Amino acid sequence: MSTIAREGVKATEPLRPEPATVVDVIEETPNIKSFRVVFDDPELMQSFTFLPGQVGQLGIVGVGESTFAISSPPSEKEYLQFSVMKTGEVTSALHELTPGDKVSLRAPLGCAFPTDEWKGKKVLVVGGGIGMAPLRCLFMHLMDHQEDYQRLQLIYGARTPRDICFTNDCKLWGEVEELDFITTIDTEHPEWTGRTGLVPHVLEEEAPDPANTIAVTCGPPIMIKYVLQSLEKLGFRDEQIFTTLERRMKCGIGFCGRCNIGPKYVCVDGPVFTLKELRELPDEH
Amino acid sequence: MADLITAIKKVLEHTDLVLGWTTATSTGVAAPARFYTADEAEAAVFDSTCVHNLAVHLPRLKDKDVGIVAKPCDAQSVVELVVEREVARGKVKVIAAPCRAMLDVKLIWRRFGYGARIEDEGGRLQVNGREVPREDFILRKCLSCESTDPVIVDEQVEGDGHTGGPPDVGGRTDDLKERFAAMSVDERRAFWAEQFSRCIRCYACRDVCPMCFCRDVCLMQTRVPHWTGGSVESRDSEMAQMIRVSHLAGRCTGCGECERACPVGIPLLLLMNEQYRLIEEMFDYRPGSDIEARPPMQTFSIETDLWEGG
Amino acid sequence: MGRFIASENIPVLLTRLATDGAVWAPAELPDSGESVVFAPWQPGREVVLDRFTQMSPKELVLPMSERLLSFSYTLTMEGEEMEVESAIPGGHTVIFGARACDAKALVVLDALFHQDPETTWSDTQYRARRDDMTVVTIACVKGTADAACFCSSWENGTAEKAGSDVIIYPVPGGFLAEAVTIRGTEVTGWDMFDDSDQPLPELDTTDVVDFDGLVEKLVTPGVFSDLDFWGRESHKCISCGYCTYGCPTCYCFNIYDEMQGDRQGERCRSWDACMFYNYTVETSGHNPRPTIAHRWRNRLGHKFSYYPANQGETLCTGCGRCIRGCPTGVDIRDILRAAGEHE
Repeated sequence: MSTIAREGVKATEPLRPEPATVVDVIEETPNIKSFRVVFDDPELMQSFTFLPGQVGQLGIVGVGESTFAISSPPSEKEYLQFSVMKTGEVTSALHELTPGDKVSLRAPLGCAFPTDEWKGKKVLVVGGGIGMAPLRCLFMHLMDHQEDYQRLQLIYGARTPRDICFTNDCKLWGEVEELDFITTIDTEHPEWTGRTGLVPHVLEEEAPDPANTIAVTCGPPIMIKYVLQSLEKLGFRDEQIFTTLERRMKCGIGFCGRCNIGPKYVCVDGPVFTLKELRELPDEH
Repeated sequence: MADLITAIKKVLEHTDLVLGWTTATSTGVAAPARFYTADEAEAAVFDSTCVHNLAVHLPRLKDKDVGIVAKPCDAQSVVELVVEREVARGKVKVIAAPCRAMLDVKLIWRRFGYGARIEDEGGRLQVNGREVPREDFILRKCLSCESTDPVIVDEQVEGDGHTGGPPDVGGRTDDLKERFAAMSVDERRAFWAEQFSRCIRCYACRDVCPMCFCRDVCLMQTRVPHWTGGSVESRDSEMAQMIRVSHLAGRCTGCGECERACPVGIPLLLLMNEQYRLIEEMFDYRPGSDIEARPPMQTFSIETDLWEGG
Repeated sequence: MGRFIASENIPVLLTRLATDGAVWAPAELPDSGESVVFAPWQPGREVVLDRFTQMSPKELVLPMSERLLSFSYTLTMEGEEMEVESAIPGGHTVIFGARACDAKALVVLDALFHQDPETTWSDTQYRARRDDMTVVTIACVKGTADAACFCSSWENGTAEKAGSDVIIYPVPGGFLAEAVTIRGTEVTGWDMFDDSDQPLPELDTTDVVDFDGLVEKLVTPGVFSDLDFWGRESHKCISCGYCTYGCPTCYCFNIYDEMQGDRQGERCRSWDACMFYNYTVETSGHNPRPTIAHRWRNRLGHKFSYYPANQGETLCTGCGRCIRGCPTGVDIRDILRAAGEHE
């Protein structure tokens, strides 16, 4: 867990969103879209900083807000990207947006991956489905500072080829030689020539060495569960493993009460946790 | 006919648990209890402070065989839950308890302090050792009780009191009900606007209601569809309550729990009674009175002539 | 030398206080089963000081529902413009007739909502209200506490002064007044008060609950993971929101938007309750607290473990409203004691 960077949210008025505008909409999969947004206040856009793993409350005034990981890297100064799966009232309304439409945004919120503390280490990123959103931000940030890390490895899985998000990025990452990048889909598919197999299996086949390595995972709960088992099998210790949690949130600042797991609030104490921290929390997931 | 404890023990032979009452040690009045064993059943009581309608717990205990100690009005809720297929008749045993009108415990304690000692014997009510007029502290719903003998009885508890027909209310009438009945439509509108201005949207009315079995997916609280706003302004609270009232049409047995549970004392039973009367007039249906019935809202067709009694 | 105000001068005091801002005082409502709640005081309205209120004065710092901001959309030559305007409450509020437990609850809430915005999050609307308020507390003298009260579980009990500006003590013919703050000294200096050398009357004591060690115990797997225990202890509960809404310290809320037409609307917040299923249910349908047992575990944990650990205050002041007002007779003290004895 890292400190709060919060230039975008006024500490004196944390529940007030800033107006922002959609500049681009990318259809990632049949039910996931990425939205690129810019704050309407150009000064704020320029001074805005955040760290990978932090989230924003993106919404449409009149409908409501929801919590999404920022999926663009901090080095991207032109826009902030959020990847949204269509599930409920707010996400359905967001999916109707086109460039030029207005959104409301409170960001950054929550704690970040402690990437500074990882310098000199190898970083293994394991993602699945929409869970790749915070990891895209993290991975691109790590690539921006590639010289600080010994080795970067990414395993990204989706159910079918059509469920792979960020296909353009995947293409690019595939071409970078120093990167160790694997995309996999769950089972064989006529449109797919690449690797197949569930993420935990691929992870075990790759068998990365846990020595001096940080593992980060995010994805569907069932995937996370098995990835954690695989990492344990490979010899990773709990404090080497990071994940980012999702809970129903409203305020994003630890006030409204609903996202706690025992005494910890996912919105301010998380969403990034080490497995060690999670194991110390009461069992209420 | 058996005494209460014997009846509960008998029912426990065929059920997993019995819902009843025991005496709360801190206050001396009845509190809901669950009896799983014959030993536990020794602590069972039934008196005029057993105000809660325990049928509210039945839909959450669907996987169990349950006995329930029920006043005549509570038994109507059990019947209607069976009719609505929320409770299987074969999984519930009704232990019918005689009732001679319940006390408004909340009112007594608001006046004399929480936990004031209540003794109600032989038609005399004493609070903290001092006799008070019993009729002044009868639960409002009991003043116009029309509950009849329960139509399902698995065990009948003997005792002093009515099992059907009007209870002993000392000749008191329901002043509020009479005043309300005499109001014009505009006066009623103003009355409810004032009443709902203090609604806190705690949903105790819904959560204590045996027939509000939608519970966790209730329209009073949903955003989709967005039928009512979330504020506590009178119009939003009133709308939320109207959704509930209309959803209970043909289900509500008039048990009055909504009104008893309301922490700010909104007389909701006035609404429920009115709706009950309309349903009876339109469909000749009295919820909770016939276990073979099919509720009007499940059989209604657009051709039904509402004013000819269904 | 103390100060005294005669009973017949209370309306004079209230009238004077009302020139500073809105005065809220306990009043009995018509056709309400004798409910007493805090209501806006107007001349002629009777103040009820000898009975407990069903609702706490918390709503004066955290209203049941309030507007956080309003917004509007306008079409311009450059395209769509969106404007957001904050709703910052203004104006002085007087709480008249709080109890020591209610006044202390404000201080307990301050620990979260009124933190220093220079160092952490702080609640804009809460601070605006809290910084502009006078609290006149009625002391619980001998014979006024009831069987639901348990404030004596804390060190100061009925003698707690935190959160009050003035404390008034009922005595024959009127009230002795004690100033706690500078504002309190100002108020008791007004000329509807007289000097008095009467001693302050003795205060009442209440039931005591021992929650030593609960901060740690409630998060140990032994208690936390024993869902059968929580189910047994909460069997009477019907999962309504009164215990949290009546509570002077429960603060959880919901944020939602309401449109007025299709070009403008408001972002609002309203009280929400951890006892509701909907409070935590996620869009996927997954609910981390699906049963009443889960929700009770969180309610007790929040009050007696998480908040003390995070904010340094117990999220309870022993006012007893949740006990008096529970429709099914749940007594939080029974559950606390059972948790304390849990092996």
